[in-house]
Amino acid sequence: MSAVPKTSFLSRYPELGNAPIPVYPYLSTEYYEKEIASIYMQDWLCVGREEEIPQPGDFKVKRLDFARTSVILLRGKDGKIAAFHNVCRHRGNKVITETGGEETFGSKKGAMMTCRFHGWTYNGKGQLSAVPHEDKFPPCFKRSENNLVPIHVDTWSGFICINLAAKPPRTLNEFLGGFKTHLDGYPFSSMVHCHTYYAHINCNWKIGIDAFSEAYHVPTIHAGSFPGLTDYWQDDCAIYGEHRSMAFYSADMNPPTPVGTKANEIFGASIALKRNEPFPLPKTVNPRRHKNWGFEQTSMFPNFLIHVGEGLWFTHQFWPVAQNKCLWEGKYYLKPPQSNSEQWAQRYAVTLQRNAWLEDTATMEDTQEALLSGAVKEIHLQDDEIMLRHAFHIINSRVEALGSPARSAT
Amino acid sequence: MSIRLPKQFAELQPFAATWALATEYERAAQRRRSQPHDLQAFYAAAIKKLPAILKRVDKYPLGKIEGVDVHLFRLALSLAEIAPHVEFYGSDPRVPFAFSEERMLGFHAGLPD
Repeated sequence: MSAVPKTSFLSRYPELGNAPIPVYPYLSTEYYEKEIASIYMQDWLCVGREEEIPQPGDFKVKRLDFARTSVILLRGKDGKIAAFHNVCRHRGNKVITETGGEETFGSKKGAMMTCRFHGWTYNGKGQLSAVPHEDKFPPCFKRSENNLVPIHVDTWSGFICINLAAKPPRTLNEFLGGFKTHLDGYPFSSMVHCHTYYAHINCNWKIGIDAFSEAYHVPTIHAGSFPGLTDYWQDDCAIYGEHRSMAFYSADMNPPTPVGTKANEIFGASIALKRNEPFPLPKTVNPRRHKNWGFEQTSMFPNFLIHVGEGLWFTHQFWPVAQNKCLWEGKYYLKPPQSNSEQWAQRYAVTLQRNAWLEDTATMEDTQEALLSGAVKEIHLQDDEIMLRHAFHIINSRVEALGSPARSAT
Repeated sequence: MSIRLPKQFAELQPFAATWALATEYERAAQRRRSQPHDLQAFYAAAIKKLPAILKRVDKYPLGKIEGVDVHLFRLALSLAEIAPHVEFYGSDPRVPFAFSEERMLGFHAGLPD
């Protein structure tokens, strides 16, 4: 192993080594199936925000293609969120009809869910409370044994997380560990005006995560949308078990322009231009309160990236669909605008960010296709790409621990 | 139905039918259909009137703009849509070196924009 510079991130995490990482985890169907079995069916996954279902009876249904299911998130009459498989216990129809998209929202009176097929009705706790012509079922049928199949659910800082394991190996708190402490106190819940983009991308889910896990790409990929970026650096690298965090520092990424400057004067909604207004950050985020701190790029294992800045935060999530397909969701959160001009200023900032995300996602299908050639068998990572290296080590250790594939390849 | 802008916004009248669009989806599609000189002409006219439009729409509570001012606000939102293209992308109507814009879908809860 060659020596790394003393100031490097890798020198603080020597267990990650500095060897190139292999390409096959991005291509192999068997590897993908093992990832689903050993990670996605075992770990806590963020599937929403509490603000999305604010009132008792409000629900969100989210498709989870990798698990071949949809999850109902329902706020019960007691205000608590419950999660169920969206499968009627009678003949398996979807209890809540999905609108065809990835996510379906609505509200159920009294938090009661009635299947449209034969009218079986479940309450907010998932209990089967009414079956039309119940007397015609044979004696072996018991209502109390036919509740909706529950899914473990818990929340932190307004994030709704589920665990698909019958018995989660860890609680959400245990799973998050120091990562949770690192972000505790960030005012997620006061910045809930959300702009969402999504796309089905023909690439492995890790190619997507990787692209947003370093800042090395910013001067090249974002030469279009952030042309003023002359200098940047990454710092504050921290690893918390499976999770990780790193900060991006730079001066303004864009030169002053008539529209950009006007928008930033009205509302500081863009990562490209700073406002230098006081903002309550957790102590461990930008610990030196450096003026060039831009945002913290954090990663909640396995597939959720939470970027927090001053006056804005945004997330990326890559949901596995197949070894060469994923669903990307990008969400940009701001304080709700108070005036029409603030709405306009936010629209400009979000548009610029949308365009930057179009630049980010531009490489993903090309990378997948090119790696499939087999021409390149390993990937050399530099120090600023330590988060990719850490992700590889965690995922690979899980996959290797599993031995043979737990699910047959399909 | 044709849009008739107030006379102090007469310079924007030629752009009203094309750019006073209600949604991000429509504004982005119009931008992609346009030629570079179309974007430049609309930008040059709209940037001059932007402060006046924003001042005018702030007479209304958030999301409650009425009458012809709805169209003025939509023109301002279209300016926000095309601004990166004129200010940064050499007036290319598409985002250069990008993923398929048509495959990236947006949905935004709350305010219509």
